[in-house]
Amino acid sequence: MATIDTQRADLPAPGSEGHPLFWKNRGHGHHFRSSAEEFDACKLGMWLFLATEILLFAGIFCAYTVFRTLYPEAWAEISHSLDWRFGLLNTVVLLLSSWTVASAVRAAQRGRNGALILNLVVTLICAALFIFIKLKFEYMVKLDLGKAPGTWFSYPYAENPQVPLCWSIYYMGTGLHALHVIIGACLLSWVLFRAIRYKAYGPTHYTMVETSALYWHLVDLIWIFLFPLLYLIH
Amino acid sequence: MTTPPTPPAGADQIVSDAAAPAANAAAQAAPAGPPIRPYLEDQGGIHGLFFRNEGHTDAIIATDAMYMLIFWFSAFFFVLLMFLMVYWTIKYRRRPGVAPPRSTAHNTLLEVFWTVVPSSAMLVMFFLGFWGYMDKLVPAGNAMELNVKAWKWDWGVTYPDGTQSGQLVTLGGRSDIKLHALPEDTEIKLRMSSNDVIHSFWIPDYRVKMDVFPNRYTGYGFRTPALGPEDDHAEGRYRDHWVFCAEYCGDLHSEMAAIIRVMPQEDYLQWVKDQGSTGDPIIDGKNVFKRKCATCHSDDGSNNIGPTWLNNFGTERQFIDGTSAIGDENYVRESILNPGARIRAGFDNQMTSFQGLITDEEIENVIAYMKSISEAAGGGADDAAGDGDDAPADDAPPADIDAAGEHG
Amino acid sequence: MTTVDTNHDHAHGGHHDEGSYLTPRGGFWSTIWAWASTVDHKKIGVMYLFAVLFMFFLGGMAAIAVRLELYEPVRQAMDATGATTITGQLFAPAGAESIDTGNQIYNRLFTLHGAIMVFMFIVPSIPASLGNFFLPLMLGAKDVAFPRVNLLSWYIYVTGSIFGVASIILGGVDTGWTFYTPYSTTTDADHWRVFFMVLAAFVLGFSSILTGLNFVVTTHKLRAPGMGWFDMPLFIWAIYATSIIQVLATPVIGITLLLLLFERLFHIGIFDPSLGGDPVLFQHFFWFYSHPVVYVMILPGMGIISELLAVHARKHIFGYRAIAFSSLGIAAVSFLVWGHHMFTAMGELSSTLFSALTFLVAIPTAIKVFNWIATLYKGSIALNTPMLYALSFLFLFSIGGLTGFPLATLSTDLHLHDSYFVVAHFHYVMMGGTVIAMVGGLHHWWPKMFGKMYNETWGIIGCLLVFVGFNVTFFTQFFLGTQGMPRRYASYVDEFHTLHMISTYGSWIILLGFLVHLFNFIHSLVAGPKAPPNPWGGLTMEWETESPPIEHNFHHEMLVKHGPYDFESVVPPHCDEAEFPLPPPQEGAGH
Repeated sequence: MATIDTQRADLPAPGSEGHPLFWKNRGHGHHFRSSAEEFDACKLGMWLFLATEILLFAGIFCAYTVFRTLYPEAWAEISHSLDWRFGLLNTVVLLLSSWTVASAVRAAQRGRNGALILNLVVTLICAALFIFIKLKFEYMVKLDLGKAPGTWFSYPYAENPQVPLCWSIYYMGTGLHALHVIIGACLLSWVLFRAIRYKAYGPTHYTMVETSALYWHLVDLIWIFLFPLLYLIH
Repeated sequence: MTTPPTPPAGADQIVSDAAAPAANAAAQAAPAGPPIRPYLEDQGGIHGLFFRNEGHTDAIIATDAMYMLIFWFSAFFFVLLMFLMVYWTIKYRRRPGVAPPRSTAHNTLLEVFWTVVPSSAMLVMFFLGFWGYMDKLVPAGNAMELNVKAWKWDWGVTYPDGTQSGQLVTLGGRSDIKLHALPEDTEIKLRMSSNDVIHSFWIPDYRVKMDVFPNRYTGYGFRTPALGPEDDHAEGRYRDHWVFCAEYCGDLHSEMAAIIRVMPQEDYLQWVKDQGSTGDPIIDGKNVFKRKCATCHSDDGSNNIGPTWLNNFGTERQFIDGTSAIGDENYVRESILNPGARIRAGFDNQMTSFQGLITDEEIENVIAYMKSISEAAGGGADDAAGDGDDAPADDAPPADIDAAGEHG
Repeated sequence: MTTVDTNHDHAHGGHHDEGSYLTPRGGFWSTIWAWASTVDHKKIGVMYLFAVLFMFFLGGMAAIAVRLELYEPVRQAMDATGATTITGQLFAPAGAESIDTGNQIYNRLFTLHGAIMVFMFIVPSIPASLGNFFLPLMLGAKDVAFPRVNLLSWYIYVTGSIFGVASIILGGVDTGWTFYTPYSTTTDADHWRVFFMVLAAFVLGFSSILTGLNFVVTTHKLRAPGMGWFDMPLFIWAIYATSIIQVLATPVIGITLLLLLFERLFHIGIFDPSLGGDPVLFQHFFWFYSHPVVYVMILPGMGIISELLAVHARKHIFGYRAIAFSSLGIAAVSFLVWGHHMFTAMGELSSTLFSALTFLVAIPTAIKVFNWIATLYKGSIALNTPMLYALSFLFLFSIGGLTGFPLATLSTDLHLHDSYFVVAHFHYVMMGGTVIAMVGGLHHWWPKMFGKMYNETWGIIGCLLVFVGFNVTFFTQFFLGTQGMPRRYASYVDEFHTLHMISTYGSWIILLGFLVHLFNFIHSLVAGPKAPPNPWGGLTMEWETESPPIEHNFHHEMLVKHGPYDFESVVPPHCDEAEFPLPPPQEGAGH
């Protein structure tokens, strides 16, 4: 699978039907027997990768369970100072983005490039909104009060000696999740770029859209677990 | 194996007498304590290859029996398999141009057989091992409880009456290994915790160890042996067992050893009495130094992991952050309880906090001792240096000691 | 014969160039670039091979140094003037007043030995080098499923190793490869080197995940037509089981090491008891990965042994399905037994549970050993270097496995835990298992990989030296352990001196054996005779292509017509029936 030099002068304009990256012109890797086989392989690969991501977060969830059991009072203190309304808002934002990214896959399968682009843009706006809410209304507010992880914890009214530890788990969990939101957004931006410039995705070639969307659903799924565990259980 | 035990090593008896000057002289002249004799029986046989002695309690004997059971089980199967391997390799070696005979590549009955038989053997091993484990961990109800504290890199044992052991002996690479006495034929129960990292209290002769954690108690129980004529030495009746730290804990991990000395009840009581306070802050301070500080600090001018105490008190020192200060009483106290606050230039932040490991009285005694070996505080630094490891005020008239105390 | 020309060219047109994958194209720099940017699984496999062998050399040198230091106990003695003299410290600076510096050097040496051997050598060793090279070939595929991910995985490995080596150059790490908290979060607090070493392990984890993921998908999707799951060579089964463990266990060490890094940098407190954290939680997390990873190390070795025994005994492997399923069984059970590393740290209930589960691992392992030995029965056994290594493996691995019993048994483990018994046990499994299998497999596949034969006599001499040296080094350590010698000790009491001395002598014999192999391989590359396509009469598909394989692996699409071990009915490809005669046909012998 040689890299195609897209900058060569004698190529047709990007996005035109003749360009090698146009979806109808895409072949499959020489070591696969068919495009369908390649698509299946990529999807299996992504599912396995998602399994590793879930296990990565399993560590955080495990630590959460252990320390929630050990120090319920400290956790109650933290849950009370987390505003469930922002958490819920972010949940809604992510659920919406999951829906739009699913629509994007559908659009690619049907060859509707415009709908694909629109859905991806909405998804990316949701991602930005999520990060904005997280930073502006949650992290910044708490950091200003001194509810910071580890050495930076300076909140003077903490009633429980384990509160800094619990804040650390909060920041590790949500921070790692935010990092995954950003990685997912980068993947989707790449898909968006190729969709706009090359019309790279269509009914016979949408592997990248599908796998990026799978990744995005995972990001959503993890938040669905983080939100009630951190915000709702008192 | 049957290598001879360690040659007798000199023991550095801690200064323990109450009456000041005369006792000092006596302590200096006192002969070294009984030599360390790690307990070794010449048993012969396969068991003797693996273990240094027969056990003295049911729990130990059961452990060894368990081990030997597994050994013979394994040896049988290993020899059988290796015999077949070598025999077939020779019998069926390749002969050029000769085709191998046909043979089956599968036999369900045989495969089921060699799955089920070892599995049942493992079931037996598991249950026997579980019973032996509970025997070792659960202490008897009437056991004498010892409080074991671990820190980098030493063990502190507190006896039921609050006495701490502090007799120092030579073992392996170190001359300041602590000796802890235990009465013979007594149920013992350990309650252990660490002040810094994870350690592990292993008594190989008792075939048991348990990790020692900060902020948590762990422990186990054992019974000390009843001594017999085989334990009679010229210096008295006793039996020595090694204690090793079995969980890696840093620079002096391999030197974090101790000796458990089992002795008759009356010797034990006398020994505990000897570990108590002398009433002299300098001598008591030196004893605290030997018990808790000598792993990393010296009083003879050589810098180990920490700075030496010789001529340390009252002098100006540089810290790694560029500041400097005079080492006064408050600095010493801070360094003991919160050692990471100010680190001397040229040293690493290695010291554990002795919060909870040392009493206020002991800190005051330590300060008194530091003063006594620091010229800046009026102590007889030169004397102490010349005497090496001996008590500081040994050669000094009592007046000097008092003077040192007053100057501070 | 075995392949059928399917009479159609594959999607990218015919082959213009059917030269060996090793043939340089263009000048020096373009060849370098061609290797550095290759997505060919064979070239990536070869690059991995040399990288892991270099790491094996580094880790091995650290091991030799560790044994040298332990040759004599460290002793302090005070002379009449009160001056202290220290003896037995090999690496301490001259005129040291105390033993601290020497101990610090020793502690760094054994940590480097462990960390390099585990994270940079043994985990990637067989899968990433021999696995990468032979998995597609044995499946009849042209490449792994994701060739570019494969290259990415290689570069992540290089990055991780650079971090690891950087931490050595910066002064070394003294945490032990297990990074137990709170020691690892507090030691060397002013330096970045512990950070770099943990980061190295973290980064290397990604490499491991990507390789495993790639292999799982390759096995699922790229088997040649006609190859069902139970037509796969057992090496593939082993690599497949290994890859599943890599994919499922490595993320957990990822998050653990991430938390450890944050703990070091920001004191987040999760493993810090003074803030309410739990150091035992770290051990649970750590062993949840690091126990399964023991099987990442040994399973590929078991796969190699299955191949070596079958080919060099010209015998259908005994109990194919039992061996295949036991690989999966080991992979499954490996996730349930991590607690047996912590019998001295856990409560009675969990210890009991984990002890029971641990015995379960022994069952599939024992089945494999029985099957291997039964494979020898009525074979046609060639006593060459690969076969000798396979037999050594059976000897050493059996000892390694059987000495697991007293460690799984609770009452004896309380004595043996963290002693030299454990050291000997896991060296018998890791080195006597994995390393021996890898060197055997390297001899077996060397002609295929590089197209040159090695010298058999010197190969056998090297094998015998390694075998003898290994036993001298490590068998003594069982006795050290039962007699009371704790592991990770820079010094010891006098009673252990003799055994330690013998152990050190053994390490020199091992070193000599490996040097013999090294020169034999170099000689083979420079002046070895050209290898035929199928020197051993193997039936798996890598023997059907040339030695070394052509760029696109095979001239034709592969189609599987016989099993990998049908030595009784198939003349091996490129081989003469006179050299590999078939037994006369017989009724009811097939299966």
